[in-house]
Amino acid sequence: MFYLSRIEHKLSLPPTRLVLPIREAIHMELEKLFLDKVIANLGLCISVYDIRSIDGGFIFAGDGAPTFTVVFNLIMFRPFVGEIITAKLFSSDADGLRLTLGFFDDIYVPAHHLPYPNHFVAEQVNSKKGVWFWDFNDQSYPIEDTDVIKFRVQNVSYPPIPVEQPKESKPFAPMLVTGSLDHDGLGPISWWFAEELEEEVENE
Amino acid sequence: MKILEANAGALTNFEVLHFLRAKGASKDPTRVIAKVAQSEYKVYDYLVNTAASAQTRENIKDFLTSVKQHDLAKAEVLNILNTRPVAEVEIFPMIENCEERFPDEEVSEIVELVKKTLPPPLIMKQEETATLKNEQGKEISQDQNENEGGEQMDTS
Repeated sequence: MFYLSRIEHKLSLPPTRLVLPIREAIHMELEKLFLDKVIANLGLCISVYDIRSIDGGFIFAGDGAPTFTVVFNLIMFRPFVGEIITAKLFSSDADGLRLTLGFFDDIYVPAHHLPYPNHFVAEQVNSKKGVWFWDFNDQSYPIEDTDVIKFRVQNVSYPPIPVEQPKESKPFAPMLVTGSLDHDGLGPISWWFAEELEEEVENE
Repeated sequence: MKILEANAGALTNFEVLHFLRAKGASKDPTRVIAKVAQSEYKVYDYLVNTAASAQTRENIKDFLTSVKQHDLAKAEVLNILNTRPVAEVEIFPMIENCEERFPDEEVSEIVELVKKTLPPPLIMKQEETATLKNEQGKEISQDQNENEGGEQMDTS
């Protein structure tokens, strides 16, 4: 789920920060720049792991801020294809499910990746929202809000920034994770955990 | 900005949690004073509810040395470390071509190894203590209600 990435960046340090020791000042500036931002093909930046080297400190003409060339490591959130992640249900509608990790919300499980056979019950007649059910052995298992859901990462994509957006569309997601629930052991934990409890009782 | 190395090493959930804890993240009220950003706290809150919250370096070392005999790929070992599967059915999605590469007994061996070397996540223990506290809590809250009624009469 998490990787270290080494980045080199020319950082301009605002003069107000010069009162702090250099390492701290640079650390704060890097955090302001990179934390919680998505870098294309690298993932979502979680944290600055460490600073490898600081070089430079030149002040260019006409500028009050010194410029440093910093090499540092960032902790990036970048799930790999095939990874199993536990997430909570964010919303559920006719197109599929949307899951959230707390720090990352754009995880979608489209309808064709849900375990088959399944059926969808809409909340009201015209709304898109509703609950998905898995039909297995003549029983219907719902996917509820309270469940913690395990899914398999199918794909991670970084759509390019759109130049114009129609007013009411969803806010732009720079990183999209597509998941799949279509395998043994995936889906809400309650579907499989209840079976484990029964096994333990039998063994005892 | 120049990317020197896109992948300078994979981190397990435990290592990220350890890093955040070293920075000062925690669950109790002192969290506001620590130098941890809001977005980092969201990651911390997520990780504390997974299997990584109870692990230590020794557990992980033990697990890695014992699992070497089974010929698992690095990504599969990472998956297992992060999710702590306790049943064969949980391991199937993590291992590619599971039926072809491992007979059923070996899969059960791997599950036993996981249960033996890696501790269960902290939330499960907390849920057990929480149910005990709820039973005691009801008795205590009734006492408090009686006391509050007495105090209100005094001030008026």
